[in-house]
Amino acid sequence: MTMSESRVVVVRSKGSVSAGGDFDKAKILRMLERGLCLLAGMGAGRDAWRTLFTERDRVGIKVNTIGGRKISTRPETALSLAESLSEIGISRKNIAVWDRTNRELREAGYRLNLDSSDYQVMGTDTDGLGYEADITAHLNIGSRFSSIQSRFVTASVSLAILKDHGLAGVTAGMKNYFGAIHNPNKYHDANCNPYVAEVFDVPLVKAKHRLTILDAVLVQFHRGPSFHPRWAEPFGGLIFSVDPVAADAFGWRVLEKLRAQKGLPSLKEENREPGYLRTAEAMGLGTADPEKIRIIEDEVS
Amino acid sequence: MNRRQFFRRTAGTCLLFNPAGMRSLSNIFALDNKPNLSRTEARFYKKLPDREIECRLCPRLCRLGDKERGYCGVRENDGGTYLTLVYGKACSMNVDPIEKKPFFHVLPGSNALSIATAGCNVNCKFCQNWEISQVRAEQVDAFDLPPSAVVNNALKYQCPVIAYTYSEPVVFYEYMVDTAEEARRRGVRNVVVSGGHINAEPLQELVGTVDAIKIDLKGFSQDFYTQYVRGELKPVLEAIRIIHASKAWLEIVYLVIPSLNDGEATIRAMSRWIKTEVGPDVPLHFSRFFPMYLLKNLPETPLSTLERAYETARSEGLRYVYIGNVPGHKAESTPCPRCGKTVVKRMGYLIESMDVQDGCCRFCRTPIPGIWA
Repeated sequence: MTMSESRVVVVRSKGSVSAGGDFDKAKILRMLERGLCLLAGMGAGRDAWRTLFTERDRVGIKVNTIGGRKISTRPETALSLAESLSEIGISRKNIAVWDRTNRELREAGYRLNLDSSDYQVMGTDTDGLGYEADITAHLNIGSRFSSIQSRFVTASVSLAILKDHGLAGVTAGMKNYFGAIHNPNKYHDANCNPYVAEVFDVPLVKAKHRLTILDAVLVQFHRGPSFHPRWAEPFGGLIFSVDPVAADAFGWRVLEKLRAQKGLPSLKEENREPGYLRTAEAMGLGTADPEKIRIIEDEVS
Repeated sequence: MNRRQFFRRTAGTCLLFNPAGMRSLSNIFALDNKPNLSRTEARFYKKLPDREIECRLCPRLCRLGDKERGYCGVRENDGGTYLTLVYGKACSMNVDPIEKKPFFHVLPGSNALSIATAGCNVNCKFCQNWEISQVRAEQVDAFDLPPSAVVNNALKYQCPVIAYTYSEPVVFYEYMVDTAEEARRRGVRNVVVSGGHINAEPLQELVGTVDAIKIDLKGFSQDFYTQYVRGELKPVLEAIRIIHASKAWLEIVYLVIPSLNDGEATIRAMSRWIKTEVGPDVPLHFSRFFPMYLLKNLPETPLSTLERAYETARSEGLRYVYIGNVPGHKAESTPCPRCGKTVVKRMGYLIESMDVQDGCCRFCRTPIPGIWA
């Protein structure tokens, strides 16, 4: 998929999540398919997925599960995405839903799986996996990468949760890759800037990244990244882009809108504007300027 | 004897537990790889609204939401309670010569039971122990070693000293202090090897608990600390002042890195500061850099650079200046500042002769500061 413009697709669905918090998997699948079709400008979901992935790919679906069951990438979304990918001929064993630790995956509601006949669901701390022994040094980054990202994955989807972040301002698709390195705690100074952009710029990430999808069904718009029901609001949508910077920039707008609705100061007023977006744009990783991002919105029933 | 032969003979007199740390890829597939973490409440933090906390242990003052880790990677906010994940969870334990720390004025020739946990509150690009310092608590193979067991091991292996070292002891503060208190009760001394990136309140308590602290002064400009250490110089200098003003013995190490912190003006300014602020009797070790971690592109420090630094510090009036990581160099030994005779002759980590008696030069009875018995 090549596009001269930075395109962000937002697909919303009323009732995608029940009052009890359960997800309607059929609706999620429709949202995914619709999102990809709009992103690729194609009518059929399979054709749209094939613009980004081939049957030979080993796809990593990097989820963010630090927030537990309440505010992590939903298993329903991740497994629906895996299903969509398998339908274009990618072997189920070549699709991995993954994050840092098995504990966090479990606590977010995932069922771990290494059975080679099905999707892999695993943390980097799984025995036999782990982090690369060698440090990858790049700009201000010096980190060991998860062997899942470095060895298994040939094509990556950042399937992140959209949240406020006390330091970075926004945690979304780009910062999700902090979960691919052994030492994310070293990169939270200065509003995580330039580190979010620089981790993404590491060839092990940048060259494999194909798509950002932000799970914005429920958005934590204040006091993130942990869950506070008082400041979590249903947005009911998934946000898609092949431009990782544009996806996060749009996510920021969503947060600001929700914050304004609740009478909260902007992230800039709280000195945590996500400066990493401008850094990423300056590094050529994508578009942060909202004037240059085309937003396509749709709704599925 | 060349350097390789020397280290083969003397480095690490007894390896007790020092796992490789990281797993390599293999075909072992099991999902339950449970890390060995403690869940002990940390000290020196402030509870904030909405289950947030602010860590007050070191100058970073990490402000953390629920489930987030501090910069050190070994302290975690769990629902508004701040936990240390490494209390009693050592990842290294060795018997080392105390000269390896280095302490040159503390019980020369003694063995120090040396322990560490994972974690560090800075990120030096030249870290020599990055496999354990620059990782999170669950990324090492930690073993259970409560304070009483540390002291038991010190006694078992006939170590009169316990050294908190290798990574950054500040980040395992509670474990260190509890161990030091028990060790002191049982007649074992305690020494700390630290970067000195610690706030005044915890440091004031620490200096009342341990016998000696060696500070790695990694450079002498904030620019250097920003670019190569990811920390602050000012609190380190304040820590040096606090230690000197206490009863704990102080030594300072300066790793001389070619082209980065080896300028004569820098060495001179640092030497003057040391003399002015903590006096001429504080030992200063100029240590040789070897390419490591994120600074593999630089050469090892030329001997001439170390000798120039040594001469500069001496010319500024510092009495006990040493050159480290150069086995057999004459500046490994301690001269009497009055009569000039060698009072402690060293060969690397080995003591070849000891002529400090009752804390004085055996030849002219001039007091030699330090802990000698």
